[in-house]
Amino acid sequence: MSSRDSSTTRIEVKDLVVRYAGDVLAVNGVGFTVGRGEHVTLLGPSGCGKTTTLRAIAGLEPPTGGSISIENRTVYSAKDRINIPAEGRGVSMVFQSYAVWPHMTVFDNVAYGLRVRKQSAADIKANVERALDLVQMRHLAERAASKLSGGQQQRVALARAIAFSPTVVLFDEPLSNLDAKLRGEMRVELRELQSRLGITSVYVTHDQEEALAISDRVIVMNVGVIEQIGTPEDIYNRPRNRFVADFVGSANLIKGRVIGKSVEGRVAFEAEGGHLLQATAPAALTGRETEVAVRTAYIGIGEAQAHDNTLPGTIRRRMFHGDFIQYVVDCPAGVMIVRRPPTNQIEEGAKITLSFPPEFCVVLEA
Amino acid sequence: MQKAIAEHTGAEMRSRFGWQTPVAVLLILVVGFLVVLPVIFLVEKTFNVGDPLSFPASQYGTGNLLSLFTEDYDIILNTIYVALMATVMAIFIGFTMAWILTRTNIPGRERLERLMEVPYYMTPLVGALAWAVLAAPKSGFFNQAWHSVGGKSDLFDIYTLFGIAWVMALFEGTVAYVMISASMKSMDPALEESARVMGASKLRTTMTVTLPLVLPGVLGATLFVFAEMLGSFAAALVLGIPGRIYVVTTSIWSTVEAFPPNYGKAAAMGLSLFLVMVAMLGFYRWIVSRGSYATITGKAFRPRPMDMGRFAWVLFSICLLYILLAVILPVGALLLTSFQTFATVILSQAQFTLANYQEALALGPVRGALFNSLMLGVAVASIGSVVMAVLVWIIYRSTLPGRGAVEYLAMFPSSVPRLVFGLGLLWAWINMPGGLYGTLWLLGIAYFTVLLPLGVRTIAGVVLQVDKSLEECARVCGASWGYQMRTVTLPLLKPGIIAAWMLLFAASVREVGASLLLMGPHSKVIGPSIVSTWANSGTQLTAAMALIQTFIVMLALIILFHVTRDTKKEMQ
Repeated sequence: MSSRDSSTTRIEVKDLVVRYAGDVLAVNGVGFTVGRGEHVTLLGPSGCGKTTTLRAIAGLEPPTGGSISIENRTVYSAKDRINIPAEGRGVSMVFQSYAVWPHMTVFDNVAYGLRVRKQSAADIKANVERALDLVQMRHLAERAASKLSGGQQQRVALARAIAFSPTVVLFDEPLSNLDAKLRGEMRVELRELQSRLGITSVYVTHDQEEALAISDRVIVMNVGVIEQIGTPEDIYNRPRNRFVADFVGSANLIKGRVIGKSVEGRVAFEAEGGHLLQATAPAALTGRETEVAVRTAYIGIGEAQAHDNTLPGTIRRRMFHGDFIQYVVDCPAGVMIVRRPPTNQIEEGAKITLSFPPEFCVVLEA
Repeated sequence: MQKAIAEHTGAEMRSRFGWQTPVAVLLILVVGFLVVLPVIFLVEKTFNVGDPLSFPASQYGTGNLLSLFTEDYDIILNTIYVALMATVMAIFIGFTMAWILTRTNIPGRERLERLMEVPYYMTPLVGALAWAVLAAPKSGFFNQAWHSVGGKSDLFDIYTLFGIAWVMALFEGTVAYVMISASMKSMDPALEESARVMGASKLRTTMTVTLPLVLPGVLGATLFVFAEMLGSFAAALVLGIPGRIYVVTTSIWSTVEAFPPNYGKAAAMGLSLFLVMVAMLGFYRWIVSRGSYATITGKAFRPRPMDMGRFAWVLFSICLLYILLAVILPVGALLLTSFQTFATVILSQAQFTLANYQEALALGPVRGALFNSLMLGVAVASIGSVVMAVLVWIIYRSTLPGRGAVEYLAMFPSSVPRLVFGLGLLWAWINMPGGLYGTLWLLGIAYFTVLLPLGVRTIAGVVLQVDKSLEECARVCGASWGYQMRTVTLPLLKPGIIAAWMLLFAASVREVGASLLLMGPHSKVIGPSIVSTWANSGTQLTAAMALIQTFIVMLALIILFHVTRDTKKEMQ
């Protein structure tokens, strides 16, 4: 994944550093590549530097170190003193606030990038209509942009971003201002649009569910650095460290110590309370690892298969969430959270046995 | 390849910053020159104890400053007394009106809120003239009416320290209302509601939650208003001169106008006043910036008004009383006077005429002054709004170094009394080659400089409302800086620029303080002409002129109101 052929690399960020006034390090040495047609998401809590990284790629935030290249053209390099302004980078962007110009019609908004590129009137009309068709907004082309609902503005912003056929589109939390239901619908649409147009995109969000659902790869960031890069399944199933396990999805962290050496990626782990677990160690062990992560969704109750890890426990609390039931289980190794389908409810106070396969019991970096 | 890109980028960077930087540097130099120069001359004159007309001074000393405390003790006392009285009254009125209009459900609230702005736009000069007509000893309408029903001595005498403070509080104190009601509006109603939910009564909530939260805002307004009152001029001029009552500003004026003029002393008074005001305003900003203002979030809430029941009509009457004293009576008195040959409120004796208006519009000097004022207003507003828009953009949107200094420079004139600024400009331009002194050009420069804070603040309000990403999006779409300014920034700023134009125009037409000393025999403007007509001719002609001026200002503001309302509707 890391060694990409340069002809398929669209964006390359190396050792990016962004320092704000007052010596605040917003981004501290971030590096990654985005391949052709790839949809990469920067995920992290607010203040982790994800938006700053995106704005640096767009040319809206001046970095203080590192380099950025788009389509094999260096657009920023601290060493070579290159800094191409935003309008010269040829990327497109959807803003969190949509940034739909209120003094123009929908058509004028979408046509803006085409007019800047001095296309003929006929081309502009054709391209705007194509873009508006893609977001099902053609019937509102002549409407004043100030008279649109939030969802409609979102679509206009999207149409505007793709109208001039950019190869790279940047998304800065584009769905965060929509209500939950609309957000879910727009996710599906975005994903379809993205694969239909073959756009390369970098997407920023703090919503881990959204990141997992719409990305080819996810980059988890925290306090200005990258915590982990991987496919959504990678990030979810094999979190590298405590931060990723905790921030993405919901996981139980079990304290203890690694016993012996890893054999084919498997290792024995002695949990606090003395239970021995079989765990997966995705990275080379350093001997200082003290935690394993088990996703709450991967734990069964009283349905252990051969080779599964098992833990005895007592159900302290049962909470009905609709899509699932959450159990709070007291175990010798500590309190475990378990999420099961709501089909089969177990009473509070019941003595049960938790089970989970070794491949979903992941040793975290110390 | 890499090198070619680097060169290409270098060119792009040059073209991007290439003309932003010189424009910014030029503006900073010009604004800095305009703002700082008068102050330099003020300081120079203060310490010049040699030949007052030589520059630089042949002899320096502190004699001028020291003489203030030995010779002009009573003037300092008068100033402090008037400013204190006026501040107390203004804060009392402002707080009462703000509370009634933001927190209670009295009838006709919206309309009353609009009317609250009228006294401010009438200007203290017109207000003082009107109250002179109303409450001057013997000839004042109140006293005339009193005598006609058999009263012996005068009921009112406006030509007193209290009279001056009264007019200042009514016509300049509205800023207290604006500031206090802003702090009341910006308070999250949930703060009060949670007190009510916890079981506190209305009164208890007011005492334990509302008042403590609003108090810092009131304190800030008090300091701000006090500083304004110290530098106030027009009311003290109109009402103080007949009774030979002087405050610092009017005494600066009379010291310069006297023969022989004592420039050193005028400068010393001006500089002292300026320093006191800077200190007060600095203290004010320090209080505001301390951050104990958890209530001031910048977000405007519309607090749920308290239901006052029948008491609402009492509060409504209090509002009406204020409107009566600050709007209806003054305007009525001026109107009545302006249509009479002799000012009287005893209508049976009145002789009505249009002669005053004919005279005001036909009399050479008056008509000339009116024409000059209108021309200056249009010019200052047109050039000013564009230059100030660019300044605002530099301050709030550019990444150029030193933009904080630009903001400071642009706001600087607000802490210098207009008259003192005029004084500094006077000496600065007498000593400059080019012969600007005594021309309309100098007045134009003075107006631009003293109105910088007003224009910058107005446009900044709109710039800060325009989401930055609207501009950024244009850049990402491929637009150059110029294209972005033309297609996105300026169209979005249009309402702000129109608002600034109208305000600058109105402020130019009503200007008195800076104009008074800079006006020459061939560059008369309306404000000072009203003052001199008041001093030399009849009340009736003055009233007509004041009303003409007020009418022009009001017209501009009504247009402004409609334009901004329409564009607001459009944008929503």
